[in-house]
Amino acid sequence: MSGETESKLSQLFAQLPEPDSELTERALVRALAALPTRPRSSERRARAFAFVLAAVVALLAASAGALAAVGALHVSFGQATHRSPRSVVSSAAQLTVPAGSGGIAATVDGRLWLTTASGLRLQGLPVTAAALSPHALYVAVGIGHSLVAMAPNGRRAWSYTAPGSVSAIAWAPDGLRIAYIVNARGRFRLYAIEGNGRHSRLLDTAVRSTRPTWRADSLALAYVSAGGRPVIFDFAHDAHVLVSSAAARDAVFLAFAPRGDQLAIATRHSVLVNGRALPAAFRDNGVAGLGWVDGNLAVALNGRVSSVFVFRFGRAGPLSHVVRLVQPARIEALDAWDSRLTLALAADSGVRVLVDRPATGSRSQVVLQLPPRSAVGTVATR
Amino acid sequence: MRAYVNTPKVVACDRESGGRDADWPVLRTRLGGVRERSDRDLVRAARRGDRDAAAALFRRYWPTAWRAALAFTGRQAAADDVASDAFERAFAALDRFDEHRPFAPWLYRIVANRALDLLRAERRLSGVEPVEPVDAGPDHRAGDRGLLAAVGALALERRTVVLLRYGVGMTPKEIAAALDLPVGTVNSRLARSLEQLREYFEVQGVGRD
Repeated sequence: MSGETESKLSQLFAQLPEPDSELTERALVRALAALPTRPRSSERRARAFAFVLAAVVALLAASAGALAAVGALHVSFGQATHRSPRSVVSSAAQLTVPAGSGGIAATVDGRLWLTTASGLRLQGLPVTAAALSPHALYVAVGIGHSLVAMAPNGRRAWSYTAPGSVSAIAWAPDGLRIAYIVNARGRFRLYAIEGNGRHSRLLDTAVRSTRPTWRADSLALAYVSAGGRPVIFDFAHDAHVLVSSAAARDAVFLAFAPRGDQLAIATRHSVLVNGRALPAAFRDNGVAGLGWVDGNLAVALNGRVSSVFVFRFGRAGPLSHVVRLVQPARIEALDAWDSRLTLALAADSGVRVLVDRPATGSRSQVVLQLPPRSAVGTVATR
Repeated sequence: MRAYVNTPKVVACDRESGGRDADWPVLRTRLGGVRERSDRDLVRAARRGDRDAAAALFRRYWPTAWRAALAFTGRQAAADDVASDAFERAFAALDRFDEHRPFAPWLYRIVANRALDLLRAERRLSGVEPVEPVDAGPDHRAGDRGLLAAVGALALERRTVVLLRYGVGMTPKEIAAALDLPVGTVNSRLARSLEQLREYFEVQGVGRD
């Protein structure tokens, strides 16, 4: 019987379907792109020279150390209080929950770092997308084609096989729906699924992978069409509404206000709210992020100086900025929730994720430090 | 004994495994004696930046690696991710690969580990072991699909050795080397898995034509 079972198994596996030819070609392209690049001969010579130089320096250092040890040489390496960039990176803290919030998450180099006040901690889980629910009660992650939700306290969770690799996720403010974008054979599609993992529904077959944003009442969401135009999907009427402003073409960030229906739209060099451009010149600066904090609009800009401008809105439209937070490094990502701004800043010394509360004027809290050139995907505090 | 080895002599395809010979990494003759390059040659050339050699290596192992990933995960979509990611990692690590060892078990080990990572991540996040029926091929009968589902229901450790043994065709010794396990552990897992599947046969009557 055992031999029969073995034979049966071998036959069964041999009859499994063949991989799709289109997928095969895409996988081949990806695999070839991963091949190690060979250094040119001149580079190899340079490396050999550098190696010899390093060996000589090490030899000299060892000699100096020996002399210093016997008191023949006094050695000093700068001020005692100085922290080298390397020591900052090596002391990289684990992601810490900002005071008063439910949890914080960051995706870096395709891996998720997550800590919640309820005690859940994920460090370096490979993901394609991730999003915290309001107040960090749940987390939804995309692991390739799987959309997985879990309760940090271990209560009910679910896993759903999406029709493509999940590339962006956004929870509705009421937590009852999740919008997610999948990459299905090179085309991005927008879906919405109920918070219990059931009734996934296709909303648009051609979108960009920009993360959608939900209106405060959770009955509409805005996303970017494949052509770069903002579109609002209204669940109450099952209707798509195209934002017709010509200035809103090639939108890169969208953010509904936490109250009401104000929609902020950022292109690379301008920001519009309900169709009106903000009174600020972004021409020489690139918009790096968009969000609402304390009911005001926060816009992150990278230029000669990186800053976060906070605009207050009155009845007659937006006033000029009320707060400008100058940042010491390039802004890689911004997230705003309630009264908190979460920023990812990249400098030569490393990448830092920090949380700021503009209204209080208190000092920023660094919640994660990462090595230089870490690629930050998204950050979020809930 | 199946041949992963990159010996220069031409050997015959192993047809005992039933229909998998087209993908099997043996040396074959084609077009009146034109000899295929060995894995070792292709690896060496790929390391030097020869993309054609790397592509040949990919095409030689992609179908088996993908089907192994499918058998592991049970879902074609997940198999796409796992197999593609495994090849990316393998090619990125080609400089660190010991070319004196056979390429195939090394690759399949990466496939297995990526599949296990995915399944464990899903289990870790959802709290349950994802047991899903394998996306079977059109040729599979209902009984076959049931057996595939039974394989999918095996514990991860057992499923791994069963798939590497009967899906990929590795010997227990090769599996042991790939998974850093004693050969005895591999053999005992195989025996227990077969016993479990045999019980499934008895209950379902599968495989008794």
